[in-house]
Amino acid sequence: MLFGRRKKNPIKIADKGVVEWKYTTCGYCSVGCSVEVGLNDQGKPVTTRGVGGADVNRGKLCIKGLTEAQVFQASGRGSDPLIRDKTFQDWQTTSWDTALDRVAEEFKRIQQQYGRDSLGIISTGQIMTEEFYTLGKLVRGVIGTNNYDGNTTLCMASAVAGYKRSFGSDGPPGCYDDFEHTECLLAFGSNLPEQHPIIYWRLKEALEKRKFPVIVVDPRVTMFAQFADIHLPITPGTDLVLLNSLAHVIFAEGLEDKEYIKQNCNGYEEFAELVKDYDPVSAAKICGIDEDTIRNVARLYAKAGSAMAIWTMGINQSTHGTDGVCGINNLNLITGNIGIPGGTSLSITGQCNAMGTREWSSCSGLPGYRALENPKHREEVGRFWGVDPEFFPEKRGLFQTDIFPAIETGQIKALWIVATNPMTSMPNSPRIRKTLEKLEFCVVQDTYKDVETTQYAHVYLPGAVWAEKEGCFTNTERRVNITRPVVAPFENSKPDHWIFSQLAKRWEQGRKIKFPDTTSEIFEEMKQLSKGDDRMLDISGMSHDLIEEKRGIQWPMREDDSGGTPRLYSDGKFQFADGKAKLLAMPYIENNERPDEDFPFWLNSGRVVEHFHTRTKTGKVGNCNKFSPTPYMEMNPDAAEELGVSHMNYVRLVSRRGDAVVMVQLTQRVPYNMVFIPFHFHDCVNRLSLGLLDPYSRQPAFKQCAVRIEDVDQTEAARLNVEMRTF
Amino acid sequence: MFPVRDDEPEYAKLKDPESQEYNRYGNPIQLDRHSDGTVSLRINGDDSIGPNPNRNKQHAFHFTADNCIGCHACEAACSEKNDLPPHLSFRSVGYVEGGTFPDYTRMNISMACNHCDDPVCLKGCPTRAYTKHPEYGAVIQDPDICFGCGYCTWVCPYNAPQLDPINGQVEKCNMCVDRLEVGLKPACVAACVGNALDFGVVENMPENRDQIETQIPGFPDPQISKPNIRFQQVKTMPREVTRTDSMPVKYHQDTASGVYKPSVDQKEGKEKFWNLPRLSSRENPLVFFTLATQAAIGAFMIAYLGGLLGLESINVVTGSIAYAPLLLLVLALIGAGLFLSTTHLGKPIRFYRGFNNLRHSPVSREGLGVVIFQACVGLHLLCMLPANGLFQTILPAELAVQLVSITQAPAAVFGGLAVPAGLIALYYMYRCYCIKARPFWNHWHAAATFYGNMLSLGGLIVGLAGIPVFLVGGIDYSGLIMVLASVVVTGLLLEAVGLFFHAKAMRAAEHEGAVSHYIQRTTFGKTYYARNVLLVLNIVTAIILGVTGITGIWALTLLGGLALFVLCAAVVGRALFYVLVIPTTMPGAFFWKNKAFEQHARDIGLAANPQVGVAMDHH
Repeated sequence: MLFGRRKKNPIKIADKGVVEWKYTTCGYCSVGCSVEVGLNDQGKPVTTRGVGGADVNRGKLCIKGLTEAQVFQASGRGSDPLIRDKTFQDWQTTSWDTALDRVAEEFKRIQQQYGRDSLGIISTGQIMTEEFYTLGKLVRGVIGTNNYDGNTTLCMASAVAGYKRSFGSDGPPGCYDDFEHTECLLAFGSNLPEQHPIIYWRLKEALEKRKFPVIVVDPRVTMFAQFADIHLPITPGTDLVLLNSLAHVIFAEGLEDKEYIKQNCNGYEEFAELVKDYDPVSAAKICGIDEDTIRNVARLYAKAGSAMAIWTMGINQSTHGTDGVCGINNLNLITGNIGIPGGTSLSITGQCNAMGTREWSSCSGLPGYRALENPKHREEVGRFWGVDPEFFPEKRGLFQTDIFPAIETGQIKALWIVATNPMTSMPNSPRIRKTLEKLEFCVVQDTYKDVETTQYAHVYLPGAVWAEKEGCFTNTERRVNITRPVVAPFENSKPDHWIFSQLAKRWEQGRKIKFPDTTSEIFEEMKQLSKGDDRMLDISGMSHDLIEEKRGIQWPMREDDSGGTPRLYSDGKFQFADGKAKLLAMPYIENNERPDEDFPFWLNSGRVVEHFHTRTKTGKVGNCNKFSPTPYMEMNPDAAEELGVSHMNYVRLVSRRGDAVVMVQLTQRVPYNMVFIPFHFHDCVNRLSLGLLDPYSRQPAFKQCAVRIEDVDQTEAARLNVEMRTF
Repeated sequence: MFPVRDDEPEYAKLKDPESQEYNRYGNPIQLDRHSDGTVSLRINGDDSIGPNPNRNKQHAFHFTADNCIGCHACEAACSEKNDLPPHLSFRSVGYVEGGTFPDYTRMNISMACNHCDDPVCLKGCPTRAYTKHPEYGAVIQDPDICFGCGYCTWVCPYNAPQLDPINGQVEKCNMCVDRLEVGLKPACVAACVGNALDFGVVENMPENRDQIETQIPGFPDPQISKPNIRFQQVKTMPREVTRTDSMPVKYHQDTASGVYKPSVDQKEGKEKFWNLPRLSSRENPLVFFTLATQAAIGAFMIAYLGGLLGLESINVVTGSIAYAPLLLLVLALIGAGLFLSTTHLGKPIRFYRGFNNLRHSPVSREGLGVVIFQACVGLHLLCMLPANGLFQTILPAELAVQLVSITQAPAAVFGGLAVPAGLIALYYMYRCYCIKARPFWNHWHAAATFYGNMLSLGGLIVGLAGIPVFLVGGIDYSGLIMVLASVVVTGLLLEAVGLFFHAKAMRAAEHEGAVSHYIQRTTFGKTYYARNVLLVLNIVTAIILGVTGITGIWALTLLGGLALFVLCAAVVGRALFYVLVIPTTMPGAFFWKNKAFEQHARDIGLAANPQVGVAMDHH
């Protein structure tokens, strides 16, 4: 000893007694980290660790992944199906048979009475790909409503629509490995350190090996903005103006890749003509970035050997979300930065399986990126499933954000919500509340029975969570990775694919169609459907075991391929009929609610690292929740001083939709005329948000609306705060 | 042994092919000069020795402040590894920020134990729960020995030891020595996704880094404990950075040295308040313990030494039957004080461990001093009993005389021993508060106040016991009042002078003491000034009593009033002493490690939900 006792006790260090590690893929965001769950000798999951040899995370995990073992036993989990006639009655525990019979009867009754499409189904990005596929088969092939969509409309719809408009198909063309090759990175509305810490780490690793310029476009000084070489504090919602102006400079100075444009793009003339109007001088007045900086960034990006652009909700959640995505695609097409190492348009996705639902759930079409609008696709899938292709609608139905207004106007009478929480996640929640009250019948299928939307449900179906099931997620870089079952489903909860296939049996057609029992059988079925026609989304070379062995495989992986494909469009061949990508001429139209005299502050919203979505999981994990246990608002101290608002006090925010009470955190991170609120909290930011819809993706503009700030009684506010945080 | 995976990533492995001989503090980095280097750490009873070739070298964290993104991965990995409940954390991330949008900078600081060369926690701990091991230089605390006094949490400048109010014990970072033994970096370091945290043999420059500095804004003076943490911070920071937590401290860059020094951030405005209820804190038992001990030692000292010095009026008291009750009162005060300070412990049943660290800890020495004083006074009382008038009435006269002759000498010996014991006890009581990490306490005014209160409160207690003797005997007690008044005046003056110079020093200070003084003048402003006025009034009153030599009902009323007000001033003063101290802790975040939020969560009931991570107060 140096100091202290001569005779020492043994050092005690906590030992959770892990005897076995099981392979999974993280069930939070779509970075797609490989996670091993540690089980003790009673088979109880006690901890997690990142898989060392997995290419995505290389042993790392973020705070949510590190504490993920706690979600299995978290409070508020649903143990049995619940049922009631009226939403004001108490829940009655019931059997699965009774609950599913009731669901089928009500769906049938309502569809008979009001028409096939009077049933709305809102799915998620949280369940396994095989489960999405099963749900799609049930909805498209058996139930037959066309008003079926996923909550991805709230997060990635603009990316999907943008990819489709530019490249002819969904599917992020790049991968994380591009960080190792790029010579310039431009990030739009993406706060990697907070939202996707492991992707940030991959970027940081690349930067430590080889420095290259990082440009961050964000109205707030996020950590990422702070670490960037150039930070562009843009005026909310004006990304398209900046993007058009960057293209203007590139064309004006002849920096474009003329050969690439000629070979691979349509629409050059119209595009070049349109961006003439977006000279940096005019653009600066709209987007708030000075003309010199616009030129500087344009030159830097265009002259880089390879350059990549990433984005997240700052682009997607905007009335110009899809245009913003296409603007980014334009920028990469004119500089020849698609499909090359370090050159890409990479949307950084939100939910663990947002990609899976886009690929296989049939929400916006038919499985495997097939379209309802394409008769050949209807024919193929109909034949494969044993469904009359005539049964399929010829055009996709309503998006999630249009399903609620359809309830409002009485076209939709019943709603089935799977693993999503619109009471917290949809903009303008006062309107959503009124909408849900109008339903004749509502089913909520979720892991947690205390998810806020159950208030308006008549049947609650308890789903198993994450690694209580087996199946695949696809991550941001198209990597299909697998989760093995680690424990049995909690009490009487069931895997979602079991619920779907059991429900299918309640229809005559459902008994005719095959619904396999295991997800590996379902995966084999999906493989068959992914083959042929030079299909981009081809997974036929994969299997569950191979996926685990490789720690995830990026599609396409065709039969006989030795591995996955890191990048799309490397051959310059796009998914339009003529194989060329489209340059899109998109004028900027000012249509947002902007701050004015009555509502002088921009309201911005976003994620914090310790929480996931509507906090149904992370709110119950103390070692996550403690870092932001109550909602708060970042506000500029200079603005606060004028209003007499002080640090750590509560204020009431008022918008044209409603009000919300939050605690104030004063910081110069936000500009004078903007407040920022994390979106995770129930009855908070979405009581205020407007959420105008993007015309293509129907994604709401969560991040652009106006509020004013008012005093509130501190004691009353504190009481409300406690009441709203009770689990 | 900690299991190493086949696919363990390279970044998780320790890499120190070479190292320096001495660190910057001049201490050898090789630590096994006192052992042969083959001692097992016996982690969880495992006797094996890890294969790490550098296991006997001092290791240190390296923190690249420029890189930390505040993502909590280090904290989460630590809590997972150590199986910690939400309200505890061995590692915490806070931040400082500065500038104006968009020229804004936030610097996150992730901090755990720095396994210091000079572990003040170890030296302060009265139970010897801490060990600085020659393996890795890890400072490891054993919760099974700890009795939860929390003294280590006072002396540590970095808030590393965590007092768990639910378990009543301290726990802290163990450097993940189980991982080090097999060549892996600690869990927090392996988990870092900003590439901010690193770990290795101290003074080694990590790969890809250019700096191994010992200071960044918000980090306390490394001279306090010679911490084993090194920093890189090369990005320009604003001249002034602030904290988002409720601590009214900001950090201002010294132009000459470039070092950031703490200064007052007037978060509480300039208005003065009473805030009397907030004087009550979890340190209330210590308010009583310190005052009662000082009063008791003072009373004994005045009575005993007064007698030795041949002061007539004191001799009347010590020669009377009232001497025994006076000594009993002294014993009762000490006993009650010790009892209350024991209840203050997280694990009171382990109180006897308080003397384990006489070699280093002022707490142990203070405790032992008080106990020896108590024992000596007790034995002195026992020996003095035969001479007591009351006692003599129940004993045969001859036996009494015989007893007196036997006990006279030991009574003098025990009385004589009690005097230095009491003085030494108070000296170490003062030393307990000489804490560099608590600059508001670390000033000689604490000694002046402690000895001052010894005289002022002690004098009043002797008066309380003595005056009835004079009244019953119908003797003139002006002499006693004059003697006691002069003792009280001396005590009060000592206290007042100490407080004056303390206030002066704190006002000019460039440390957290200035911040405490700011709180003293604002949040508790009215209370503080009222106490000062009371102190002056008490001095004036005592002088009047001492100079005029008045007796009668006026004198007694004045004396009674003086006693009451001296007690009031002493209690308020001591309560302020405890509630005002602001340690040199690391900056917190908006919710986590923000004292005001923790209090708010307790006040409104949010803390009842364990997921909020705020433990309800058990005191």
